[in-house]
Amino acid sequence: MIGKGLLKGLGITFKHGKEKNITVQYPEVMPYLQERYRGCLEFDPKDCIVCGMCIKACPNNVLSLESAAMPGSKKKQLVSYTIDLQYCMFCNLCVEACPTNTLYFTHHFELSTAERGAIKRIYTPAPGTPVADGESEAVIIPPEALADQVDTEAEAKRLKQVQAMKGAISKGNSKVLAKFVDSEEDASLLLIILQGDEKKQDKMAALMIDDKDKARKVATAFVAKEKRDKAKSEEGKQ
Amino acid sequence: METIFINIEEFLTSWMVGMGLAQPWADLIITILQWTIIVLIITVNTIVLVWMERKVSGFIQERIGPNRLGPFGAFQTIADTLKLLTKEDIVPARADKLIFKTAPMFFIIVSVMLYAVLPLGNNMAVVDLNVGLFYFISLASLSTICLLMAGWGSNNKWSLLGAMRSVAQMISYEIPLVFSLLGVVMIAGSLNLTDIVTAQNRVWFIILQPVAFIIYFIAATAELNRGPFDMPEAEQELTAGAYTEYTGMRWALFFLAEYTNLVAVSVLAATLFLGGGHGPWLPSWLWIIIKTYLIMLVFMWTKWTFPRIRMDHLLSFSWKVLIPVSLANILVTGAGIELFRWMGW
Repeated sequence: MIGKGLLKGLGITFKHGKEKNITVQYPEVMPYLQERYRGCLEFDPKDCIVCGMCIKACPNNVLSLESAAMPGSKKKQLVSYTIDLQYCMFCNLCVEACPTNTLYFTHHFELSTAERGAIKRIYTPAPGTPVADGESEAVIIPPEALADQVDTEAEAKRLKQVQAMKGAISKGNSKVLAKFVDSEEDASLLLIILQGDEKKQDKMAALMIDDKDKARKVATAFVAKEKRDKAKSEEGKQ
Repeated sequence: METIFINIEEFLTSWMVGMGLAQPWADLIITILQWTIIVLIITVNTIVLVWMERKVSGFIQERIGPNRLGPFGAFQTIADTLKLLTKEDIVPARADKLIFKTAPMFFIIVSVMLYAVLPLGNNMAVVDLNVGLFYFISLASLSTICLLMAGWGSNNKWSLLGAMRSVAQMISYEIPLVFSLLGVVMIAGSLNLTDIVTAQNRVWFIILQPVAFIIYFIAATAELNRGPFDMPEAEQELTAGAYTEYTGMRWALFFLAEYTNLVAVSVLAATLFLGGGHGPWLPSWLWIIIKTYLIMLVFMWTKWTFPRIRMDHLLSFSWKVLIPVSLANILVTGAGIELFRWMGW
Protein backbone atom coordinates (compact mmCIF):
# COMPACT_ATOMS: atom_id res chain seq x y z
CA MET A 1 0.00 0.00 0.00
CA ILE A 2 1.25 3.44 -0.92
CA GLY A 3 1.97 5.59 2.09
CA LYS A 4 2.60 2.71 4.47
CA GLY A 5 6.13 3.96 5.12
CA LEU A 6 4.81 7.41 5.91
CA LEU A 7 2.40 6.02 8.49
CA LYS A 8 5.19 3.93 9.98
CA GLY A 9 7.32 7.05 10.29
CA LEU A 10 4.49 8.92 11.98
CA GLY A 11 4.08 5.97 14.35
CA ILE A 12 7.76 6.04 15.25
CA THR A 13 7.77 9.75 16.02
CA PHE A 14 4.56 9.36 18.02
CA LYS A 15 6.22 6.68 20.11
CA HIS A 16 9.24 8.94 20.61
CA GLY A 17 6.96 11.48 22.20
CA LYS A 18 6.18 9.05 24.99
CA GLU A 19 9.73 7.81 25.54
CA LYS A 20 12.11 9.20 28.13
CA ASN A 21 14.05 12.27 27.09
CA ILE A 22 17.76 11.78 26.63
CA THR A 23 18.60 15.41 27.36
CA VAL A 24 21.01 16.01 30.23
CA GLN A 25 20.09 19.23 32.03
CA TYR A 26 23.69 20.35 32.22
CA PRO A 27 24.09 22.94 34.93
CA GLU A 28 21.90 20.93 37.30
CA VAL A 29 23.07 17.49 36.22
CA MET A 30 26.73 17.07 35.38
CA PRO A 31 27.49 15.02 32.28
CA TYR A 32 29.08 11.60 32.65
CA LEU A 33 32.74 11.80 31.68
CA GLN A 34 34.92 8.88 30.61
CA GLU A 35 37.88 8.02 32.80
CA ARG A 36 40.44 9.37 30.35
CA TYR A 37 38.50 12.53 29.54
CA ARG A 38 40.86 15.46 29.05
CA GLY A 39 39.55 18.37 31.04
CA CYS A 40 41.63 21.12 32.57
CA LEU A 41 45.41 20.51 32.71
CA GLU A 42 46.56 20.42 36.34
CA PHE A 43 49.98 20.59 37.91
CA ASP A 44 51.14 19.27 41.25
CA PRO A 45 54.15 21.36 42.39
CA LYS A 46 55.31 18.90 45.03
CA ASP A 47 56.11 16.17 42.51
CA CYS A 48 57.97 18.33 39.99
CA ILE A 49 61.67 17.56 39.49
CA VAL A 50 62.16 20.56 37.15
CA CYS A 51 63.35 18.38 34.28
CA GLY A 52 61.64 20.56 31.66
CA MET A 53 60.46 17.60 29.58
CA CYS A 54 56.92 18.95 29.50
CA ILE A 55 58.08 22.27 28.07
CA LYS A 56 60.04 20.48 25.34
CA ALA A 57 57.04 18.28 24.54
CA CYS A 58 54.51 21.10 24.27
CA PRO A 59 53.81 22.07 20.65
CA ASN A 60 52.03 25.31 21.56
CA ASN A 61 54.32 26.78 24.20
CA VAL A 62 51.63 26.51 26.80
CA LEU A 63 53.99 25.60 29.60
CA SER A 64 56.86 27.55 31.14
CA LEU A 65 58.71 27.32 34.42
CA GLU A 66 61.12 29.30 36.51
CA SER A 67 63.71 27.45 38.53
CA ALA A 68 66.58 28.23 40.88
CA ALA A 69 69.66 26.30 41.90
CA MET A 70 69.32 24.58 45.23
CA PRO A 71 71.89 25.59 47.86
CA GLY A 72 74.68 23.08 48.24
CA SER A 73 73.72 20.90 45.30
CA LYS A 74 73.56 20.84 41.52
CA LYS A 75 69.83 20.17 41.60
CA LYS A 76 67.19 22.73 40.76
CA GLN A 77 64.17 23.70 42.71
CA LEU A 78 60.92 25.07 41.30
CA VAL A 79 60.19 28.76 41.71
CA SER A 80 57.01 28.98 39.63
CA TYR A 81 55.23 26.93 36.98
CA THR A 82 52.86 28.52 34.45
CA ILE A 83 50.16 26.84 32.37
CA ASP A 84 48.75 29.28 29.82
CA LEU A 85 45.68 27.21 29.12
CA GLN A 86 44.31 29.46 26.37
CA TYR A 87 46.83 27.98 23.93
CA CYS A 88 46.44 24.41 25.10
CA MET A 89 44.99 21.94 22.61
CA PHE A 90 44.80 19.11 25.15
CA CYS A 91 47.07 16.88 23.05
CA ASN A 92 48.34 14.97 26.08
CA LEU A 93 52.01 15.18 24.96
CA CYS A 94 53.18 16.93 28.14
CA VAL A 95 51.35 14.42 30.30
CA GLU A 96 53.04 11.58 28.43
CA ALA A 97 56.42 13.27 28.73
CA CYS A 98 56.24 13.92 32.46
CA PRO A 99 58.32 11.27 34.31
CA THR A 100 56.72 11.88 37.70
CA ASN A 101 53.05 12.28 36.72
CA THR A 102 53.17 15.85 37.93
CA LEU A 103 51.02 17.01 35.01
CA TYR A 104 47.65 15.40 34.59
CA PHE A 105 44.21 16.01 33.10
CA THR A 106 41.29 16.47 35.44
CA HIS A 107 37.58 16.11 34.75
CA HIS A 108 37.08 19.81 35.34
CA PHE A 109 35.87 21.33 32.07
CA GLU A 110 34.22 24.64 32.98
CA LEU A 111 37.16 26.77 31.93
CA SER A 112 35.50 30.04 31.03
CA THR A 113 36.76 33.08 32.92
CA ALA A 114 35.65 36.67 33.19
CA GLU A 115 39.04 38.04 32.22
CA ARG A 116 41.46 36.84 29.63
CA GLY A 117 44.38 36.73 32.02
CA ALA A 118 42.56 34.49 34.47
CA ILE A 119 42.88 31.47 32.19
CA LYS A 120 46.63 31.51 32.87
CA ARG A 121 47.44 29.36 35.89
CA ILE A 122 50.60 30.02 37.88
CA TYR A 123 51.71 27.50 40.47
CA THR A 124 54.25 28.43 43.13
CA PRO A 125 55.28 25.65 45.49
CA ALA A 126 54.67 26.46 49.14
CA PRO A 127 57.87 26.99 51.13
CA GLY A 128 58.72 23.97 53.23
CA THR A 129 57.44 21.30 50.84
CA PRO A 130 60.06 18.62 50.31
CA VAL A 131 61.88 18.76 47.01
CA ALA A 132 60.89 15.85 44.86
CA ASP A 133 64.10 13.97 44.15
CA GLY A 134 63.58 10.99 46.38
CA GLU A 135 66.83 11.26 48.32
CA SER A 136 67.72 14.54 49.96
CA GLU A 137 65.94 16.06 52.90
CA ALA A 138 65.91 19.44 51.16
CA VAL A 139 62.79 21.52 51.19
CA ILE A 140 61.52 24.20 48.89
CA ILE A 141 62.86 27.57 49.96
CA PRO A 142 60.99 30.71 48.97
CA PRO A 143 62.85 32.62 46.24
CA GLU A 144 63.68 35.71 48.35
CA ALA A 145 65.09 33.59 51.17
CA LEU A 146 66.99 31.59 48.58
CA ALA A 147 68.66 34.76 47.26
CA ASP A 148 69.66 35.79 50.80
CA GLN A 149 71.08 32.37 51.53
CA VAL A 150 73.16 32.43 48.37
CA ASP A 151 74.55 35.88 49.35
CA THR A 152 75.64 34.86 52.84
CA GLU A 153 77.30 31.74 51.55
CA ALA A 154 79.21 33.58 48.87
CA GLU A 155 80.23 36.19 51.43
CA ALA A 156 81.57 33.53 53.80
CA LYS A 157 83.49 31.90 50.99
CA ARG A 158 85.00 35.22 49.97
CA LEU A 159 86.01 36.09 53.50
CA LYS A 160 87.72 32.75 53.79
CA GLN A 161 89.66 33.37 50.62
CA VAL A 162 90.60 36.87 51.68
CA GLN A 163 91.79 35.50 55.03
CA ALA A 164 93.90 32.89 53.26
CA MET A 165 95.40 35.53 51.00
CA LYS A 166 96.25 37.71 54.01
CA GLY A 167 97.85 34.75 55.69
CA ALA A 168 99.96 34.07 52.62
CA ILE A 169 101.09 37.70 52.50
CA SER A 170 101.98 37.89 56.17
CA LYS A 171 103.89 34.63 55.92
CA GLY A 172 106.00 36.21 53.18
CA ASN A 173 104.81 34.05 50.29
CA SER A 174 105.64 36.29 47.32
CA LYS A 175 104.37 33.74 44.77
CA VAL A 176 100.74 34.75 45.27
CA LEU A 177 101.70 38.31 44.45
CA ALA A 178 103.70 37.40 41.36
CA LYS A 179 100.49 37.23 39.30
CA PHE A 180 99.74 40.88 39.91
CA VAL A 181 103.10 42.44 39.11
CA ASP A 182 105.52 42.17 36.23
CA SER A 183 108.55 40.48 37.84
CA GLU A 184 109.79 38.46 40.84
CA GLU A 185 111.69 41.52 42.00
CA ASP A 186 108.54 43.63 42.02
CA ALA A 187 106.69 40.88 43.84
CA SER A 188 109.15 40.78 46.70
CA LEU A 189 109.16 44.59 46.78
CA LEU A 190 105.32 44.56 47.01
CA LEU A 191 105.54 41.98 49.75
CA ILE A 192 107.75 44.25 51.80
CA ILE A 193 105.35 47.19 51.26
CA LEU A 194 102.32 45.15 52.30
CA GLN A 195 103.98 43.61 55.33
CA GLY A 196 104.84 47.08 56.53
CA ASP A 197 101.24 48.31 56.35
CA GLU A 198 98.25 46.38 57.84
CA LYS A 199 95.64 48.50 55.99
CA LYS A 200 97.27 48.08 52.62
CA GLN A 201 97.54 44.36 53.31
CA ASP A 202 93.76 44.04 53.94
CA LYS A 203 92.79 46.10 50.93
CA MET A 204 95.11 44.26 48.63
CA ALA A 205 93.93 40.85 49.76
CA ALA A 206 90.29 41.81 49.21
CA LEU A 207 91.03 43.25 45.81
CA MET A 208 92.97 40.19 44.78
CA ILE A 209 89.88 38.08 45.38
CA ASP A 210 87.18 40.42 44.07
CA ASP A 211 88.71 42.25 41.14
CA LYS A 212 91.94 40.95 39.73
CA ASP A 213 92.44 43.72 37.15
CA LYS A 214 92.09 46.43 39.75
CA ALA A 215 94.41 44.53 42.09
CA ARG A 216 97.01 44.44 39.32
CA LYS A 217 96.72 48.18 38.71
CA VAL A 218 96.95 48.98 42.42
CA ALA A 219 99.88 46.61 42.87
CA THR A 220 101.75 48.14 39.95
CA ALA A 221 101.06 51.61 41.34
CA PHE A 222 102.36 50.60 44.79
CA VAL A 223 105.54 49.17 43.31
CA ALA A 224 106.11 52.17 41.05
CA LYS A 225 105.65 54.57 44.01
CA GLU A 226 108.01 52.54 46.17
CA LYS A 227 110.59 52.62 43.35
CA ARG A 228 110.28 56.38 42.98
CA ASP A 229 110.61 56.86 46.75
CA LYS A 230 113.71 54.72 46.77
CA ALA A 231 115.16 56.67 43.88
CA LYS A 232 114.39 59.99 45.67
CA SER A 233 115.98 58.81 48.93
CA GLU A 234 119.05 57.66 47.04
CA GLU A 235 119.24 61.06 45.32
CA GLY A 236 118.96 62.69 48.74
CA LYS A 237 121.87 60.59 50.10
CA GLN A 238 123.98 61.59 47.20
CA MET B 1 -21.84 30.91 25.98
CA GLU B 2 -22.58 30.19 22.33
CA THR B 3 -23.37 33.75 21.36
CA ILE B 4 -21.18 35.59 23.87
CA PHE B 5 -19.04 37.42 21.29
CA ILE B 6 -22.04 38.24 19.08
CA ASN B 7 -23.88 39.57 22.13
CA ILE B 8 -20.92 41.76 23.04
CA GLU B 9 -20.82 43.09 19.51
CA GLU B 10 -24.56 43.83 19.45
CA PHE B 11 -24.36 45.46 22.86
CA LEU B 12 -21.49 47.70 21.75
CA THR B 13 -23.29 48.69 18.56
CA SER B 14 -26.53 49.52 20.35
CA TRP B 15 -24.59 51.40 23.03
CA MET B 16 -22.79 53.52 20.42
CA VAL B 17 -26.03 54.19 18.55
CA GLY B 18 -27.64 55.04 21.86
CA MET B 19 -24.83 57.54 22.50
CA GLY B 20 -25.96 59.38 19.36
CA LEU B 21 -23.54 57.88 16.81
CA ALA B 22 -24.89 57.18 13.31
CA GLN B 23 -25.27 53.48 12.42
CA PRO B 24 -22.57 53.41 9.65
CA TRP B 25 -20.01 54.94 12.03
CA ALA B 26 -20.83 52.43 14.71
CA ASP B 27 -20.44 49.61 12.17
CA LEU B 28 -17.07 51.04 11.09
CA ILE B 29 -15.84 51.15 14.69
CA ILE B 30 -17.04 47.59 15.21
CA THR B 31 -15.20 46.46 12.07
CA ILE B 32 -12.00 48.14 13.24
CA LEU B 33 -12.47 46.46 16.61
CA GLN B 34 -12.95 43.09 14.93
CA TRP B 35 -9.74 43.47 12.92
CA THR B 36 -7.86 44.55 16.03
CA ILE B 37 -9.06 41.43 17.79
CA ILE B 38 -8.08 39.27 14.81
CA VAL B 39 -4.56 40.74 14.80
CA LEU B 40 -4.41 40.14 18.55
CA ILE B 41 -5.56 36.54 18.08
CA ILE B 42 -2.93 36.04 15.38
CA THR B 43 -0.14 37.42 17.56
CA VAL B 44 -1.12 35.36 20.58
CA ASN B 45 -1.57 32.30 18.38
CA THR B 46 1.88 32.74 16.89
CA ILE B 47 3.45 33.01 20.32
CA VAL B 48 1.67 29.85 21.43
CA LEU B 49 2.41 28.04 18.17
CA VAL B 50 6.14 28.75 18.19
CA TRP B 51 6.29 27.38 21.70
CA MET B 52 4.14 24.41 20.68
CA GLU B 53 6.26 23.72 17.62
CA ARG B 54 9.42 23.67 19.71
CA LYS B 55 7.83 21.45 22.34
CA VAL B 56 6.43 19.02 19.75
CA SER B 57 9.77 18.80 17.96
CA GLY B 58 11.42 18.27 21.32
CA PHE B 59 9.09 15.42 22.22
CA ILE B 60 9.55 13.80 18.83
CA GLN B 61 13.34 14.05 19.07
CA GLU B 62 13.37 12.88 22.68
CA ARG B 63 14.47 16.29 23.91
CA ILE B 64 12.83 18.56 26.45
CA GLY B 65 12.43 21.72 24.41
CA PRO B 66 12.18 25.15 26.01
CA ASN B 67 11.84 24.71 29.77
CA ARG B 68 13.65 27.62 31.40
CA LEU B 69 11.33 30.59 31.25
CA GLY B 70 8.03 30.17 33.01
CA PRO B 71 6.12 26.91 33.45
CA PHE B 72 7.28 24.45 30.75
CA GLY B 73 9.13 27.30 29.04
CA ALA B 74 5.86 29.00 28.14
CA PHE B 75 7.34 32.52 28.24
CA GLN B 76 10.27 31.62 25.99
CA THR B 77 8.54 32.94 22.87
CA ILE B 78 7.69 36.21 24.61
CA ALA B 79 11.35 36.68 25.45
CA ASP B 80 12.27 35.82 21.86
CA THR B 81 9.74 38.34 20.58
CA LEU B 82 11.24 41.04 22.80
CA LYS B 83 14.68 40.13 21.51
CA LEU B 84 13.50 40.34 17.89
CA LEU B 85 11.85 43.71 18.55
CA THR B 86 15.07 45.18 19.93
CA LYS B 87 17.40 43.76 17.32
CA GLU B 88 19.16 45.96 14.78
CA ASP B 89 17.29 46.40 11.51
CA ILE B 90 19.83 45.65 8.78
CA VAL B 91 19.08 46.47 5.16
CA PRO B 92 21.78 45.17 2.81
CA ALA B 93 23.59 47.97 0.98
CA ARG B 94 23.03 46.49 -2.49
CA ALA B 95 19.44 45.43 -1.84
CA ASP B 96 16.47 46.78 -3.75
CA LYS B 97 15.43 48.79 -0.72
CA LEU B 98 11.79 49.50 -1.54
CA ILE B 99 10.97 45.89 -2.42
CA PHE B 100 13.09 44.58 0.44
CA LYS B 101 11.27 46.70 2.98
CA THR B 102 7.73 46.24 1.68
CA ALA B 103 7.87 42.45 1.16
CA PRO B 104 7.30 41.46 4.83
CA MET B 105 4.57 44.09 5.17
CA PHE B 106 2.66 42.75 2.18
CA PHE B 107 3.16 39.22 3.39
CA ILE B 108 1.62 39.91 6.78
CA ILE B 109 -1.18 42.05 5.29
CA VAL B 110 -2.14 39.28 2.87
CA SER B 111 -2.04 36.73 5.67
CA VAL B 112 -4.24 38.81 7.94
CA MET B 113 -6.71 39.49 5.12
CA LEU B 114 -7.38 35.75 4.88
CA TYR B 115 -9.25 35.99 8.19
CA ALA B 116 -11.95 38.21 6.73
CA VAL B 117 -14.04 35.28 5.57
CA LEU B 118 -13.08 32.60 8.08
CA PRO B 119 -16.02 31.82 10.37
CA LEU B 120 -14.43 31.58 13.83
CA GLY B 121 -17.74 30.26 15.21
CA ASN B 122 -21.37 30.38 14.16
CA ASN B 123 -22.04 33.71 12.42
CA MET B 124 -18.61 34.93 13.50
CA ALA B 125 -16.99 35.73 10.14
CA VAL B 126 -15.96 39.36 9.78
CA VAL B 127 -17.41 39.48 6.28
CA ASP B 128 -20.05 36.93 5.26
CA LEU B 129 -18.90 36.82 1.65
CA ASN B 130 -20.84 34.67 -0.84
CA VAL B 131 -17.59 33.81 -2.67
CA GLY B 132 -15.64 33.39 0.54
CA LEU B 133 -13.70 30.34 -0.55
CA PHE B 134 -12.76 31.95 -3.83
CA TYR B 135 -11.57 35.04 -1.95
CA PHE B 136 -9.49 32.89 0.40
CA ILE B 137 -7.79 30.95 -2.39
CA SER B 138 -7.01 34.01 -4.48
CA LEU B 139 -5.50 35.83 -1.48
CA ALA B 140 -3.52 32.79 -0.38
CA SER B 141 -1.77 32.67 -3.74
CA LEU B 142 -0.70 36.31 -3.34
CA SER B 143 1.85 35.31 -0.74
CA THR B 144 3.92 33.84 -3.59
CA ILE B 145 4.52 37.36 -4.85
CA CYS B 146 5.59 38.51 -1.40
CA LEU B 147 8.16 35.74 -1.15
CA LEU B 148 9.42 36.56 -4.64
CA MET B 149 9.70 40.22 -3.62
CA ALA B 150 11.72 39.25 -0.57
CA GLY B 151 14.00 36.99 -2.59
CA TRP B 152 14.52 39.49 -5.38
CA GLY B 153 14.91 42.52 -3.13
CA SER B 154 17.55 40.88 -0.96
CA ASN B 155 20.00 40.75 -3.91
CA ASN B 156 21.31 37.47 -2.59
CA LYS B 157 21.61 34.30 -4.62
CA TRP B 158 20.27 32.10 -1.82
CA SER B 159 17.30 34.36 -1.33
CA LEU B 160 16.52 34.37 -5.04
CA LEU B 161 16.89 30.59 -5.28
CA GLY B 162 14.56 30.18 -2.32
CA ALA B 163 12.07 32.59 -3.81
CA MET B 164 12.18 30.82 -7.18
CA ARG B 165 11.63 27.49 -5.50
CA SER B 166 8.71 28.85 -3.53
CA VAL B 167 7.12 30.25 -6.69
CA ALA B 168 7.49 26.94 -8.54
CA GLN B 169 6.21 24.99 -5.55
CA MET B 170 3.32 27.24 -4.59
CA ILE B 171 2.00 27.60 -8.12
CA SER B 172 2.22 23.84 -8.68
CA TYR B 173 0.41 23.04 -5.47
CA GLU B 174 -2.21 25.74 -5.93
CA ILE B 175 -3.92 23.51 -8.49
CA PRO B 176 -4.48 20.35 -6.41
CA LEU B 177 -5.41 22.60 -3.47
CA VAL B 178 -8.21 24.25 -5.45
CA PHE B 179 -9.30 21.00 -7.06
CA SER B 180 -9.52 19.28 -3.69
CA LEU B 181 -11.77 22.08 -2.41
CA LEU B 182 -13.96 21.80 -5.49
CA GLY B 183 -15.42 18.49 -4.30
CA VAL B 184 -16.58 20.13 -1.07
CA VAL B 185 -18.03 23.06 -2.96
CA MET B 186 -19.91 20.71 -5.28
CA ILE B 187 -21.53 18.86 -2.40
CA ALA B 188 -22.32 22.01 -0.40
CA GLY B 189 -23.41 23.88 -3.51
CA SER B 190 -21.96 27.15 -2.24
CA LEU B 191 -18.71 29.13 -2.03
CA ASN B 192 -19.85 30.80 1.18
CA LEU B 193 -17.98 29.32 4.11
CA THR B 194 -20.92 29.75 6.49
CA ASP B 195 -23.14 27.81 4.07
CA ILE B 196 -20.52 25.07 3.80
CA VAL B 197 -20.51 24.75 7.59
CA THR B 198 -24.29 24.58 7.64
CA ALA B 199 -24.19 21.86 4.94
CA GLN B 200 -22.17 19.70 7.37
CA ASN B 201 -25.06 19.58 9.81
CA ARG B 202 -25.55 15.85 9.49
CA VAL B 203 -22.20 14.54 8.28
CA TRP B 204 -18.73 16.07 8.13
CA PHE B 205 -17.19 16.36 4.70
CA ILE B 206 -14.09 14.46 5.77
CA ILE B 207 -16.26 11.32 5.59
CA LEU B 208 -17.71 12.23 2.19
CA GLN B 209 -14.43 13.55 0.79
CA PRO B 210 -11.51 11.67 2.45
CA VAL B 211 -9.32 11.83 -0.65
CA ALA B 212 -9.96 15.53 -0.99
CA PHE B 213 -8.97 16.04 2.64
CA ILE B 214 -5.67 14.21 2.20
CA ILE B 215 -4.91 16.12 -1.00
CA TYR B 216 -5.84 19.37 0.71
CA PHE B 217 -3.58 18.53 3.64
CA ILE B 218 -0.59 17.73 1.42
CA ALA B 219 -1.12 20.72 -0.84
CA ALA B 220 -1.60 23.03 2.13
CA THR B 221 1.68 21.83 3.66
CA ALA B 222 3.39 22.72 0.40
CA GLU B 223 1.58 26.06 0.21
CA LEU B 224 2.74 26.90 3.72
CA ASN B 225 6.34 26.03 2.84
CA ARG B 226 6.42 23.72 5.82
CA GLY B 227 8.37 20.51 6.18
CA PRO B 228 8.63 18.07 4.42
CA PHE B 229 7.99 20.59 1.64
CA ASP B 230 10.18 23.38 3.03
CA MET B 231 12.42 23.55 -0.03
CA PRO B 232 12.16 27.37 -0.25
CA GLU B 233 13.64 27.71 3.24
CA ALA B 234 15.87 24.64 3.34
CA GLU B 235 18.26 25.85 6.04
CA GLN B 236 20.92 23.31 5.10
CA GLU B 237 21.05 24.34 1.43
CA LEU B 238 19.84 27.93 1.18
CA THR B 239 20.58 29.16 4.74
CA ALA B 240 16.99 30.43 5.00
CA GLY B 241 15.88 30.98 1.44
CA ALA B 242 14.10 34.27 0.94
CA TYR B 243 14.55 35.19 4.61
CA THR B 244 18.36 35.03 4.57
CA GLU B 245 18.98 38.77 4.60
CA TYR B 246 16.19 39.70 6.98
CA THR B 247 16.84 40.59 10.60
CA GLY B 248 14.93 41.66 13.67
CA MET B 249 11.31 42.61 13.29
CA ARG B 250 11.23 42.31 9.50
CA TRP B 251 12.21 38.68 9.83
CA ALA B 252 9.74 38.28 12.68
CA LEU B 253 6.99 39.58 10.40
CA PHE B 254 7.73 36.77 7.95
CA PHE B 255 7.57 34.32 10.79
CA LEU B 256 4.36 35.83 12.04
CA ALA B 257 2.86 35.62 8.55
CA GLU B 258 3.90 31.98 8.20
CA TYR B 259 2.18 31.01 11.40
CA THR B 260 -0.78 33.20 10.52
CA ASN B 261 -1.09 31.27 7.27
CA LEU B 262 -0.79 28.03 9.19
CA VAL B 263 -3.68 29.01 11.44
CA ALA B 264 -5.74 30.22 8.49
CA VAL B 265 -5.22 27.03 6.51
CA SER B 266 -6.03 24.94 9.59
CA VAL B 267 -9.19 26.93 10.29
CA LEU B 268 -10.20 26.44 6.66
CA ALA B 269 -9.57 22.69 6.95
CA ALA B 270 -11.66 22.57 10.12
CA THR B 271 -14.39 24.59 8.43
CA LEU B 272 -14.52 22.62 5.19
CA PHE B 273 -13.86 19.07 6.35
CA LEU B 274 -14.32 18.83 10.11
CA GLY B 275 -17.72 20.49 10.40
CA GLY B 276 -16.57 23.94 11.46
CA GLY B 277 -18.21 24.89 14.72
CA HIS B 278 -20.38 21.77 14.88
CA GLY B 279 -19.89 19.67 17.96
CA PRO B 280 -21.63 18.63 21.12
CA TRP B 281 -21.75 20.53 24.45
CA LEU B 282 -19.10 23.17 23.76
CA PRO B 283 -19.79 26.50 22.01
CA SER B 284 -18.95 26.67 18.30
CA TRP B 285 -16.01 29.05 18.62
CA LEU B 286 -14.35 26.68 21.13
CA TRP B 287 -14.90 23.77 18.76
CA ILE B 288 -13.21 25.70 15.97
CA ILE B 289 -10.22 26.37 18.22
CA ILE B 290 -9.96 22.72 19.29
CA LYS B 291 -10.24 21.42 15.71
CA THR B 292 -7.77 23.99 14.42
CA TYR B 293 -5.20 23.10 17.05
CA LEU B 294 -5.64 19.38 16.34
CA ILE B 295 -4.98 19.97 12.66
CA MET B 296 -1.96 22.14 13.48
CA LEU B 297 -0.61 19.40 15.73
CA VAL B 298 -0.82 17.01 12.78
CA PHE B 299 0.97 19.61 10.63
CA MET B 300 3.76 19.76 13.20
CA TRP B 301 3.81 16.01 13.59
CA THR B 302 4.35 15.52 9.87
CA LYS B 303 6.92 18.31 9.71
CA TRP B 304 9.12 16.75 12.36
CA THR B 305 8.66 13.21 11.05
CA PHE B 306 9.43 13.36 7.35
CA PRO B 307 12.71 14.38 5.75
CA ARG B 308 12.72 17.14 3.15
CA ILE B 309 11.63 16.05 -0.31
CA ARG B 310 13.76 16.76 -3.38
CA MET B 311 12.71 19.63 -5.65
CA ASP B 312 12.04 17.55 -8.76
CA HIS B 313 10.21 14.90 -6.74
CA LEU B 314 8.16 17.66 -5.17
CA LEU B 315 7.02 19.02 -8.53
CA SER B 316 6.48 15.65 -10.17
CA PHE B 317 4.45 14.55 -7.14
CA SER B 318 2.17 17.51 -7.67
CA TRP B 319 1.80 17.20 -11.43
CA LYS B 320 1.83 13.43 -11.77
CA VAL B 321 0.01 12.30 -8.64
CA LEU B 322 -1.96 15.00 -6.85
CA ILE B 323 -3.53 16.73 -9.86
CA PRO B 324 -4.75 13.51 -11.57
CA VAL B 325 -6.05 12.16 -8.27
CA SER B 326 -7.85 15.39 -7.45
CA LEU B 327 -9.36 15.49 -10.95
CA ALA B 328 -10.55 11.91 -10.53
CA ASN B 329 -11.98 12.90 -7.15
CA ILE B 330 -13.98 15.68 -8.78
CA LEU B 331 -15.25 13.24 -11.41
CA VAL B 332 -16.28 10.68 -8.79
CA THR B 333 -17.91 13.36 -6.64
CA GLY B 334 -19.89 14.73 -9.61
CA ALA B 335 -20.96 11.25 -10.64
CA GLY B 336 -21.93 10.45 -7.05
CA ILE B 337 -24.02 13.62 -6.72
CA GLU B 338 -25.83 12.82 -9.98
CA LEU B 339 -26.32 9.25 -8.87
CA PHE B 340 -27.88 10.27 -5.55
CA ARG B 341 -30.06 12.83 -7.29
CA TRP B 342 -31.22 10.18 -9.76
CA MET B 343 -31.99 7.86 -6.85
CA GLY B 344 -34.12 10.68 -5.48
CA TRP B 345 -32.29 11.65 -2.22
